[in-house]
Amino acid sequence: MMQSSPLNFRRAIIWIGRLVLGGIFIYAGYSKAFLPNHILWPLFFLKFSLSTNLANFALQVEAFKMLPPWGVQFVAHTLPFTEIILGILVLIGWRLRIWASFLTLIMLGFFVVVLRAYLLHMDINCGCFATPEPIGPRKILEDAALSALALLTTYFAFVEARKPHPWSAPQPT
Amino acid sequence: MTGEDCVDRLRSVSVPALGLALFLIVVLVSALGVRAGQSSAPVTDVDPHVAAGSKNAPIVMEVFSDFQCPACKTLYMTTNREVMDNYVSTGKVYLIHRDFPLPMHAHSQVAAQYSRAAAQVGKFEVVEQALFQNQEKWEQTGDVDGTVAAVLSPAEMNKVRALVKGGTLNALIQKDLALGRLYNVNQTPTTVFHSKGQTFPYSGVMNYEILRNFLDQLGK
Repeated sequence: MMQSSPLNFRRAIIWIGRLVLGGIFIYAGYSKAFLPNHILWPLFFLKFSLSTNLANFALQVEAFKMLPPWGVQFVAHTLPFTEIILGILVLIGWRLRIWASFLTLIMLGFFVVVLRAYLLHMDINCGCFATPEPIGPRKILEDAALSALALLTTYFAFVEARKPHPWSAPQPT
Repeated sequence: MTGEDCVDRLRSVSVPALGLALFLIVVLVSALGVRAGQSSAPVTDVDPHVAAGSKNAPIVMEVFSDFQCPACKTLYMTTNREVMDNYVSTGKVYLIHRDFPLPMHAHSQVAAQYSRAAAQVGKFEVVEQALFQNQEKWEQTGDVDGTVAAVLSPAEMNKVRALVKGGTLNALIQKDLALGRLYNVNQTPTTVFHSKGQTFPYSGVMNYEILRNFLDQLGK
């Protein structure tokens, strides 16, 4: 009978990482592109403007003072969709090692950027989600925890991939 | 493949799919919940003395500001001046000053009172400029009165002092503070943009070039 690999610590972390990181990335991208404003339901669909929302997100990106205006516009117009796509790919687990590696790099990038803003005493919002969140120790810890989870998930995904699949034929002795 | 194999295979495929479906449902429901819980509060209680531009402008910018906050000074001296020149004067933006004196600043409440008093005598813009331009001086000495007196005539200054002593201006400042709390303002400067029934809050100093792009999108 074919069966799934037995659940061990590494596989449990991979599962948690996929669900948590994938979910957070999808929501983060979705909220940047679709929810940055406060509008009265049900007028949401009548008033919705993606270009306005992305231009609004550009203001958040610019607040970090790390990129020239063209770089700000590029990040603002690509990051939300990258997050959504990467989140979906990690959540469904297809080519997990590749996409988890990308997600980890992006997560580490977020952590460095937020830590830099905190150390420079920049009084700005992180722009992580739709709602304004000031950068403080709590946000740093959140990002550090998520970065650690992303690193572990990716590392364990590589480790587990080296093992023979339970459905594969037994190795000749 | 036996029936048990099929069930096993189905189980291994359906768990991620179920997780994804559950997550999407949670996101959708939470999004709708957030929408239902928020309202695009109309711009009310506007003191025309502290506003600039046309009331009928397609975009309204409410700037929650503290006269003793350095970032508010930067926003005023750089970005908002360009907004005044290019958007307010052309009728595209209605710019409203909102007082949000922070408790951490010893003299910002007094500065807000003086600016409100100056607004009552039609001199808000002059006093606002003087307070921001000389921020480093009066925040050291606490001499808000002297800073304002330097840009007003003696007659105007007497009116301003009388208004400040009258104590009625605190109610106006409290109204702005209450409105700020409604928008979840927790730092200064915070700018709240309104256009076509939508509300966009932004905290911090904005780069004019990026802001211009945003205003152009809003105005479309």
